[in-house]
Amino acid sequence: MDREYTIVGTRMTRTDSLAKVTGSASFTADLKLPRMLCAKVLRSPHPHAKILNIDTSRALRLPGVKAVVTAADAHGVKWGVFKYTQDHPMIAVDRVRYVGEDVAGVAAADEETALEALDLIQVDYEPLPAVFNPEDAMKKDAPLIHEEYANNINVHVHIEVGEVDEAFGQAHLVREDTFHAAGEAYSTLEPYATVASYANGYLDLWMPNAAPHVRAKALSNLLKMPLNKVRVRRINVGGHFGSRSEVSPGDLVTSLLSMKAGCPVKLVLTREENAACTRQVHDIQATIKTGVKKDGTITAKEFRVVYDGGAYSSTGPIAASIPYYVYEEAYRFPNVRYNGYRVITNKGIRGMYGAHGRAFLCGNEMQLDMIARELGMDPMEIRLKNGLKVGEETATKSVIISGGLEEPIRRAAEQANWTEKRAGLTEGEGIGMGCVAVMCGFPMGFRSGSACYVKLNDDGQATIVTGICDTGMGNESMAIQIASEVLGIPVEDISLVNADTVVTNLDPGAYSQAASFVGGNAVKRACEDAKRQILGFAATKMNHPAEDLDIRDRTIISKTDPSKSMPMRWIVREAFFQGKPIAATGAYMPKVDFQREWIKKPYGQMAGTFSFGCSVAEVTVDKETGQIRIPHFVAAHDCGNPINTMAVEGQIEGSVQQAGVAVLTEETRWTEGLLLNPDLLEYKVPLACDMPEIEPLIVCSNDPEGPFGAKEGGLTTRMNAYSAVVCAAHNALGVPLNEFPLTPDRVLKALDAAKGGDKS
Amino acid sequence: MITSKFEFRSPKDVEEAVRLYREFQGEAVYLSGGTDLVPRMKLGLEKPKAVIDLKRIVPLTTVEDQGDWIRIGPLARIFDLKQNDLVGDYFPALEASLEATSCESLQMRGTIGGNLLQNSRCLFYNQSEFWRRSKGFCLKMGGESCNAVPGAKTCFANYCSDNAPALCTLSAEIELSGPDEVRRLNLEELYTNKADKPFDLQPGEILTAIFVPKKKSIGGYEKLRVRGAIDYPLLSAAFSFVDGTGKLAIGAVGPKPYVVEMKQPSHDAIGEAVEVVLKQVRPVGNTVLDPDYRKRMIPVLAGRLINKVMEGAK
Ligand SMILES: Cc1cc2nc3c(=O)[nH]c(=O)nc-3n(C[C@H](O)[C@H](O)[C@H](O)COP(=O)(O)OP(=O)(O)OC[C@H]3O[C@@H](n4cnc5c(N)ncnc54)[C@H](O)[C@@H]3O)c2cc1C
Repeated sequence: MDREYTIVGTRMTRTDSLAKVTGSASFTADLKLPRMLCAKVLRSPHPHAKILNIDTSRALRLPGVKAVVTAADAHGVKWGVFKYTQDHPMIAVDRVRYVGEDVAGVAAADEETALEALDLIQVDYEPLPAVFNPEDAMKKDAPLIHEEYANNINVHVHIEVGEVDEAFGQAHLVREDTFHAAGEAYSTLEPYATVASYANGYLDLWMPNAAPHVRAKALSNLLKMPLNKVRVRRINVGGHFGSRSEVSPGDLVTSLLSMKAGCPVKLVLTREENAACTRQVHDIQATIKTGVKKDGTITAKEFRVVYDGGAYSSTGPIAASIPYYVYEEAYRFPNVRYNGYRVITNKGIRGMYGAHGRAFLCGNEMQLDMIARELGMDPMEIRLKNGLKVGEETATKSVIISGGLEEPIRRAAEQANWTEKRAGLTEGEGIGMGCVAVMCGFPMGFRSGSACYVKLNDDGQATIVTGICDTGMGNESMAIQIASEVLGIPVEDISLVNADTVVTNLDPGAYSQAASFVGGNAVKRACEDAKRQILGFAATKMNHPAEDLDIRDRTIISKTDPSKSMPMRWIVREAFFQGKPIAATGAYMPKVDFQREWIKKPYGQMAGTFSFGCSVAEVTVDKETGQIRIPHFVAAHDCGNPINTMAVEGQIEGSVQQAGVAVLTEETRWTEGLLLNPDLLEYKVPLACDMPEIEPLIVCSNDPEGPFGAKEGGLTTRMNAYSAVVCAAHNALGVPLNEFPLTPDRVLKALDAAKGGDKS
Repeated sequence: MITSKFEFRSPKDVEEAVRLYREFQGEAVYLSGGTDLVPRMKLGLEKPKAVIDLKRIVPLTTVEDQGDWIRIGPLARIFDLKQNDLVGDYFPALEASLEATSCESLQMRGTIGGNLLQNSRCLFYNQSEFWRRSKGFCLKMGGESCNAVPGAKTCFANYCSDNAPALCTLSAEIELSGPDEVRRLNLEELYTNKADKPFDLQPGEILTAIFVPKKKSIGGYEKLRVRGAIDYPLLSAAFSFVDGTGKLAIGAVGPKPYVVEMKQPSHDAIGEAVEVVLKQVRPVGNTVLDPDYRKRMIPVLAGRLINKVMEGAK
C-alpha cells in the first residue's frame, strides 16, 4: 500500500465477530416482547388456482387465536420494485400463482394453536392449468398467469449498440452456443422472520433486511400508512446474498396481524418455507453469439437470455439485466444486441442473487475459451486483449474511472503459475480463468445516496448515525473503521447507530455493492467535517494553526512539533462550553446518470465506479465418474483499497464457495411447482471438506472517488468464480459443457454427446 | 417444525421396552440416536403415541469378543464403533463404511442399530406434510401410486444405510427380541425387498444384537455422493474377502443391499457379479443425480473397489 493509514487496511477483527462466534448476537427470531403472539401462514397447495372462498370463522373460534388475516384486511396494493411491475399482492386476493403463496395468517398464543388454527381455515380453490418453464410459458396457448403480461413475458430488456448484424458479417469467426443453469437457493443460515409491534398508530418492525428505508417505504405503501409511522429497526441478519433486498410477504402478514391483534407478533419461517416461499434464484438459459477478428478482438455480441421469473415481478428488470452489465463492464465490444426476457411461471418468487447469472457468465467465458482455442490463442491473451481499461467506456456508456481488467488477470495468472501449469497439464487436469467487473451502486433515484451524522460525546468518544445496513458482510465494522481512521480515535470509542428508519438517514442498502463506496463515503465526509470543527477549536485553544494539527490516538497533536499536544476530549468539552457541540453531517451521492432506466433508457453512467476481478481455478476430472475436484483456486479482486483486509479475504473465500464450488453442486430441483429440495440436505451447499485451497489476492487500484480508495469487496469474485471452474473443466475435457451445475451425471452426458460428433 | 405430541419412556431393559410397546398397543416407536427417527417425526411421517428410548439399556450399547463372533450392541454409536480395534482389525469394509456415514457430528449420535433400521428414502416422500398434501399421497404414505414414477404401483424408495452393505459382505447375523420370541437371522433376511416397508419385523421387535463372524478379512467401501460429507449414499459398494471368498454388496439403489458372492475376484467374476446386480436394480429419479448415471456407476464403483482391495492385499 502506498498510503499510511492507522486502521484502514489492517486485518482488524470485525466489531461484530465476537458476538456472532459466541452465539450472543440476537437475530429476529430471538426477539421476545411482552404479550407477543406467534404467527403462522396458510399457504397455497396449488401452483395455480382461483380462490373461490375463504372461511376463517372456525379458526377464529379456536381458544388462543387472537387474529386471522386475509387479503380482505390488506389494502389491495401490489408490490413491485417499479411502477410498471407492481403485480404482487403479498397476500393472495382471488388467485394463487405458486405453491406456498401466502393466503391467510394467524396469530395465536403459541405455535401449536396457530398451526391448529391453520387447519381450521377453509379455502375453496378452483385449480387452473399451470406452467412451469419459461419456454412453455411463452407459447401462444399457455395459461396466462397475469392478465397484464402477454405471453407471460414479465419484462423484456432490449439493448442495442452499434451495427450488430454488419459486424457479424465482417467477423473472422462467429460462434453461437446455448447454456442453461438451474436456479439456486440462497441458503441463508437464518430462516426468514418478522416481528411486528403495533401500538398507538405506530408500527415497529424487525426482520432480516438489506435496506431498512426501502423496506419501510414498501410497507408504508402496502399498509397505506404514513412513512413516519412505519419504523424498521436494526437487527442482526444471518445472511442475505440478495434474498433480503425486498419486502417479503411475511412482513405484510405479520404487520396486519399485529395491527389486528393489538399485540406484538412474531413470524418465523421454517427452513422449507424459507426455501419455497421467500424469493429464490432464477433458472437461466442464455444463447450467446460472439464475433471476433482474427487477432481475437471481439467485434460483436448477441444475446438471448431467458429468466424463469416465478410467479411475480420482484426486481424484474434488474434481474433481467445485471448478468449482461457485469459482463460489459469487464470487456470491450462495440456492437451488441441483448434481449433479456423475464418470464412468469407458476413457481416460487425469484429475486436478485450475489452470484446471479451463472448460465450467462459461465457461458460467455467458456465460449471465449472455445474461440481462443480455434484462433490458437491463450485464454489469458484473449481476455487481456478485450478487457476494459481506465478511461474507456462500456458498451452502454459507463466510464471506467479506476482499475481495469489487466492487473487482476496478470496478478491471478502469476500467482497460479498460469503459463507453466497450462503447458504441463496431464490427463484429466484443467486450468481456467473467469473475469468480471461489478458496479458499485446503481441508479435508484434520490435513494442512491447515503448520509451520516456524527456527534462527539463529552469524553471525546463519538456516535455515528448511518443508514448503512449489515447483513453479515461486515458493513457495520467498515463504517466504524472509517470513522476511527478519520477521527483519530480507536474503534472502541465509537458507537454506531444504524439501519433504523426513524433515526438514520437514507442509504442505498446492502445490495448494490454500494455500502463502502457510497455509505462509507458519507461516514468519511461526516467525520471529516467533525474533525475540521475539532481542529478549529483546537487551533484557538492551542494557539497553533489548524492546518498543522491532527488527531492521533485521542490526542490533538502538531504535525511538525509533536511536543505540542492536548487531549481531544478537552477540545470537545470546550465546544460544549461555547454552546457549539461537535456535530456534523456528511453525505455522498454517486456520480451516475439518473436518466438511465433499466428498460426505457439502458444507456448512461450506471455506477460511480466498478470493481474488477479475475479468478483462476485448477480442476481434476475423473472421466469415468464425471466427478470434478478443485484442488486450487486463486482469486484476484480489485476492491480499490481494502478497508479491512481480512474482511475482504473472507468475502472472497465465501464467494469461492458460494459460486466456484457451488457450480459443481447447487441446484433447486422441481416436480412441477413443488421444490424437491427445500432443505439443506438435498440442496447441496458445498461443505468445508469440498473447498479448494484458496489464495485471495487483493488488487489496489485506489479509486479516486471511493473512501480511502475503496470500492466493493467480494462480489466480483462471486460473479466470476463459477466461470473459472467451468472453464477449467472445459480445459480438462475439451468438450462443450452447456448445463450447470456440473454434477457428475451432466459431465458424463457432455462427454457422451461429444463422442456423438459435436466436438468443440 | 414441531412433532406431534407423544409420551416419552426410558425403559431399563429389553423386556420392559417390549412391554411398553404392547402397552401403547403398537402405536409406539423405539428410539436410539434419533437421527433418522426425529427428522421423520418432524415431517409428520411418523406420529407415534409414545417414543421408547433404548439408550438406557446398557447391554445394548457394548461390543464384545465372543470368540467365534464379535457381538455388536445395536446402540453402539457409529463414532465409537469406527474407532473400535476389533472393527479395525477384522472388518475393514465396516470400518470404511462407518467412516463414510454422514458426518462426525451425526456419527456421535447415530447408532449402528438405528443405521440398519433407518427407513427407506425418496425425494417425494421425505417431505413435510404440507408438501405431501400438495402433491397427493404416494404409495409409501398409503396413496394409490408412486409420485416419483407417476402411475407406478411399486415403491422405489432407496434404502440408504451405509453400513448394511458392509455388514452383509461380512455375513453378519442379527438378533431380534419381540413380545413372543427371540430370533436370530442373517442380516440379508431382514429385508422384504419392498421399498415402502423394507424390514421383515414383527410388531414390537427390537434389534438386540449384531453378530459378525470373527474372521480376518480384507475389504473396503466406496460411496457415491455429491459432497464430501453429510450426504446419504446415491450408490454404494462394499466388498469383503474372507476365507477365499469375496462378497460384493451394492446399496442405495433399491430397498435392500444387493449381495453377490464370488470365488476369486477376477475381471470376469467381477463382471458377472455386477451383471447379477444390474439385473435386479431399477434406480429412478427419486434422489439427486440422474438414475441412469447411478446405474452406470455400479460397475465403475464395484470394479474400482474390488481392484483396490485385492491390490492392497498383494
Ligand atoms: C443429515 C443426515 C445425514 C445422514 N446421512 C447418512 C448417511 O450418509 N448414511 C447413513 O447410513 N445414514 C445417514 N443418516 C441417517 C442416520 O443418521 C444414521 O443412519 C444413523 O446411524 C441412525 O441411527 P440412530 O441411532 O440415530 O437411529 P434412530 O433414528 O434412533 O432409529 C432409526 C429407526 O430404527 C428404529 N430403531 C432404532 N433402534 C432400534 C432397535 N434397536 N430396534 C428396533 N428398532 C430400532 C427407530 O424406531 C427408527 O425407526 C443421516 C441422517 C441425517 C439427519
